[in-house]
Amino acid sequence: MPVVTIASPKGGAGKSTAAVILGTELAHAGAAVTMIDCDPNRSLTLWSDQGDIPPRIQVLSDVGESDLIKTVKQHDQDGSIVIIDLEGVASRLVSRAISQADLVITPMRGTTLDATIGVRALQLVAEEEEALDRSIPHAVVFTMTRNIRSKQHNGIEASLREQGVDIIDPSLIERAAFAALFEFGGDLRTIPPQGNMETAQANAQGFAEAVYARLRGEAGESAA
Amino acid sequence: MSERKAFSIDVGGLKSRPKQSDARTIAKTDKAGEKHGFIDREPKAKRGRKPSPRTGQVHAKVLPQVQAQIAAEARRRGTQQGVIIEDAWELYCEQHGITDED
Ligand SMILES: Nc1ncnc2c1ncn2[C@@H]1O[C@H](COP(=O)(O)OP(=O)(O)OP(=O)(O)O)[C@@H](O)[C@H]1O
Ligand SMILES: [Mg+2]
Repeated sequence: MPVVTIASPKGGAGKSTAAVILGTELAHAGAAVTMIDCDPNRSLTLWSDQGDIPPRIQVLSDVGESDLIKTVKQHDQDGSIVIIDLEGVASRLVSRAISQADLVITPMRGTTLDATIGVRALQLVAEEEEALDRSIPHAVVFTMTRNIRSKQHNGIEASLREQGVDIIDPSLIERAAFAALFEFGGDLRTIPPQGNMETAQANAQGFAEAVYARLRGEAGESAA
Repeated sequence: MSERKAFSIDVGGLKSRPKQSDARTIAKTDKAGEKHGFIDREPKAKRGRKPSPRTGQVHAKVLPQVQAQIAAEARRRGTQQGVIIEDAWELYCEQHGITDED
């Protein structure tokens, strides 16, 4: 089963939020999902401790360099989609998690700082592709986006597209409901309503469907 | 939430490639990471005994019975002989009115 690695050395880019949205939406759509928490700050674990873990999801905590590859191997074969959440640092654990991925997702806010640091994840993927002599599908998802996009965001997106980077559509919009997942645990169906839940749910599902299409090899192969 | 199409997953359609996890692959991966500053940041579990803060050394030849007594006392207290000397020095300082600033 496919392994999705969520990676960016930029802290606060929206990795853990993207991981929880993706995991809960895929599980809701019927997949078994194993979420591996590789962040010593334990964001995923905090989410899972906050409320009931939705059906078909398991969360593995405190996975480090010494056991990541072994853990991925185990769950790669047990029929669940594996999602790896990493700390926002440039660490060896990140490069190992990328080496095991069927898809790398780099969440990025549409700001110059986020893009500059986030791009380091893309450069690492390219380096590993060369070193390991295989392609590692990867994509960027813009996070915390608003209805009206800044010039900065548009510029960054255009420049990434020009370089052949696969950009996941829809982006993850800024929603109180997404932040609330960490306050209440569970998924967008179980948390108390925050703002317009319909918009949040549609956005989350759209994102998960776009990732699913890539896991089927249907969409978004970057123009390499 | 009615007009949204249901999303359901057909697990059979998912693509997964065999993942290499041999030592050579890991070494290549680590090297690729290092090139871009993705380096080892695991907290290092300290192996073995912590280094002693007692790095100073006194050069003391003493009478054999004093040596034997200091050794016996250290063994009794389960400390190093240096600790006995530190204690003795503290008492000496008290007696002679020597303070830290001196
Ligand atoms: N789409 C979103 N809408 C609203 N809030 C968001 C969204 N994405 C992230 N946030 C908030 O932004 C903050 C950082 O997000 P998150 O923890 O997901 O980032 P991260 O990349 O995992 O950070 P780290 O590098 O520390 O692991 C959190 O407070 C989160 O609730
Ligand atoms: Mg995080």
